[in-house]
Amino acid sequence: MSRRKINIKRELPTTTLSGFALSGLLVLTILNILLHNMPTKIQTAGDALLKLNATEGVANAVTTVIVFFRGLDTLGEIAVLFIASLGIGLMLHSNSKCNIKAESNFMLQTASKILFPVILLFGIYVMIYGHLSPGGGFQGGVIIASGVLLLLISHKAFEVPHSVIVALETFAGVSYVLIGLIGLLVLDVFLGNFLPHDISQMGLLLSGGIIPLIYIIVGIKVGSEMSMIVQNLIKRDHDV
Amino acid sequence: MFEFFNQPEVIKTIVTIGSMMLFFIGLFGLLTRKNFIKIFMSIAIMETSIFLLFIGLTFKIDFVAPILDSAHLDAAMMNDPIPHAMILTAIVIGMAVLALGVSFAIEYFKLTGKTEIDEMNEMRH
Repeated sequence: MSRRKINIKRELPTTTLSGFALSGLLVLTILNILLHNMPTKIQTAGDALLKLNATEGVANAVTTVIVFFRGLDTLGEIAVLFIASLGIGLMLHSNSKCNIKAESNFMLQTASKILFPVILLFGIYVMIYGHLSPGGGFQGGVIIASGVLLLLISHKAFEVPHSVIVALETFAGVSYVLIGLIGLLVLDVFLGNFLPHDISQMGLLLSGGIIPLIYIIVGIKVGSEMSMIVQNLIKRDHDV
Repeated sequence: MFEFFNQPEVIKTIVTIGSMMLFFIGLFGLLTRKNFIKIFMSIAIMETSIFLLFIGLTFKIDFVAPILDSAHLDAAMMNDPIPHAMILTAIVIGMAVLALGVSFAIEYFKLTGKTEIDEMNEMRH
């Protein structure tokens, strides 16, 4: 095996490096001057939102910001994720060559059988308790997709059932918009919190009205989309 | 000896310098590497530096995570939840863009057998 001849000029572009160092130094200086003159206590929009947060009865303020105050943005974000998943499916569907040629071994197969239910349970826990503790729909969905990835790399014949994914994604997308429309009908606000959300219930599992519901829906959608993305990226060849 | 690091200016300077170094490492890789996958990795490194900058600059000493519970019912000593929410959005969008780019690279490699941008000459003819 012959080693590739190393070209010093190509491996170490000194002009680019020195330009980078100079521009980085300039940016650092400007940022340091800005930071040094920054007042220590600033009244930000986050402080106002933190005061408003208790009115929704949700303990985790980040969840309230994502799902309630910026609920429409989250809907758009999920649409972006769906479009990316669609693009990956279209891009990798036409070519049927497999992407991974390595074989899985016995240890990986046995361990994945034990680990997959635990990973699934942990993902669902993170999803359901998103309004009480750090976590939520996006994180839980990605954890579930990592469990699916473990099954995909360990079992050769495993394939994510396409009809189940389509049903889950359709259910999640439609119910997100339906909850928003019910809020529009009941409270005249899109994604209005029409379920009871009393501050005395804060910290319980059943609290916060529609906010945990929407985060569970987001988790279902993100989990199914990420599972589809990893399956499309791996794409085992079943004939070999 | 750690009192020196407990000043907000020092922490913010360290976070700024570190994330800027990470950003320029990513930009350097983006401009000098030829492999598709390495270019996408560099973009991911640049994204990570921006996440680090946002979260690090809003961190305050003795402030807790913005989760109200029985021990922390007061919203006065809590970190700002907006950068966290923004960065969560940015992570998801960055992941989607990265996955789409990697799928483009995989498909291009399958169709042409090339992995470097120097060898891309399909549009020339």
